[in-house]
Amino acid sequence: MTYTEWLREDRLPHIYCAGCGNGTVINCTLNAVDQMGWKKEETVFVSGIGCSSRAPGYIMTDSLHTTHGRALAFATGIKMASPDLNVVVFTGDGDLAAIGGNHFIHACRRNIDLTVVCMNNQIYGMTGGQGSPTTPMGALSTTTPYGSREPTFDLCELASAAGANFVSRWTSYHVKELTRAIHNGLKTSGFSFIEAAVQCPTNYGRRNKFRQVMDQIEYFKTHAVLQQKADRLREEGKPLPENSIVVGEFVHRNRPAMGVKR
Amino acid sequence: MRLVIDERRCKGCNLCTMVCPYRIFKQGSKPNARGIVVPELDRPERCANCRLQALYGRTLCGMCQMICPDQAISWQEEEKNEPRKVAIEF
Ligand code: SF4
Ligand code: SF4
Ligand code: SF4
Repeated sequence: MTYTEWLREDRLPHIYCAGCGNGTVINCTLNAVDQMGWKKEETVFVSGIGCSSRAPGYIMTDSLHTTHGRALAFATGIKMASPDLNVVVFTGDGDLAAIGGNHFIHACRRNIDLTVVCMNNQIYGMTGGQGSPTTPMGALSTTTPYGSREPTFDLCELASAAGANFVSRWTSYHVKELTRAIHNGLKTSGFSFIEAAVQCPTNYGRRNKFRQVMDQIEYFKTHAVLQQKADRLREEGKPLPENSIVVGEFVHRNRPAMGVKR
Repeated sequence: MRLVIDERRCKGCNLCTMVCPYRIFKQGSKPNARGIVVPELDRPERCANCRLQALYGRTLCGMCQMICPDQAISWQEEEKNEPRKVAIEF
């Protein structure tokens, strides 16, 4: 079996814009789920609102498309009611970090046995390109027309501090590594958080000097810094190169978890 | 196996042209019936997957298929002894 059998072929092509990284993350997630050998009827995909959250609609399993930011609350409910189901949550940066921020930290604290894949496109794509809590300093969006002046959330540090069992970050360029990270996350009991930096050519890219989809992928390729290298630079007291995206597996531990399969 | 791009799904983002180690995908030049410039394939029989997928029983490389956001890239079974033009590299 390959991961394409998890797709709802009748619903494709999906509504994402040309070159939107969310499609790539769907491929990686389904590939990882497929490697787990799970049955379709024992797997549930949950999402909130946003471009990323359209993803479960293209997958041939039961799914919940919930209210904005509440994907984790609904997923917690599923896991508490029937711990035998495998629950994967798709969410975006606005959904997870802004509107659902509180659900996020408490799901990490409770360490519920979920796998959360956050497609971080650094903007509110679906509603027209407003600035989100992860829009980088200086980036243009419809609500920050002179460049964002706010420091951003580092979602991975947030998840580690709040107590998640598995935390990792990759980008939509690193498809193999992202697939492996999601697979490890699915295997880990407790809360697994995987952040995937994705391109949003329509609302982020064209306002921020990425004229082509390929330009933003090229940016991910050249600005990704492995966590080991980032640690080494920190030990040597050297600064990280500007605008670098630290990628890798940050946390893999075994805190007591809730809702684990009996 | 033969590498194909599903023209009904491809949206012409050209991400596949960035990742292939053999540079099989080339940016297209003509829009198709849906108005999308689908990449052209340059001697796709060089792809490791086309040659060895059946032998190994799994997808090798597969970078293009994974990065394609529109799930447009796949491999199709071929008829045995299907005539085909082959370019020989020296
Ligand atoms: S607006 Fe951005 S995130 Fe949403 S589908 Fe388009 S490219 Fe993707
Ligand atoms: S599977 Fe690999 S070698 Fe084959 S076309 Fe895709 S990227 Fe190129
Ligand atoms: S990556 Fe997929 S959608 Fe994009 S140009 Fe290539 S085949 Fe088409």
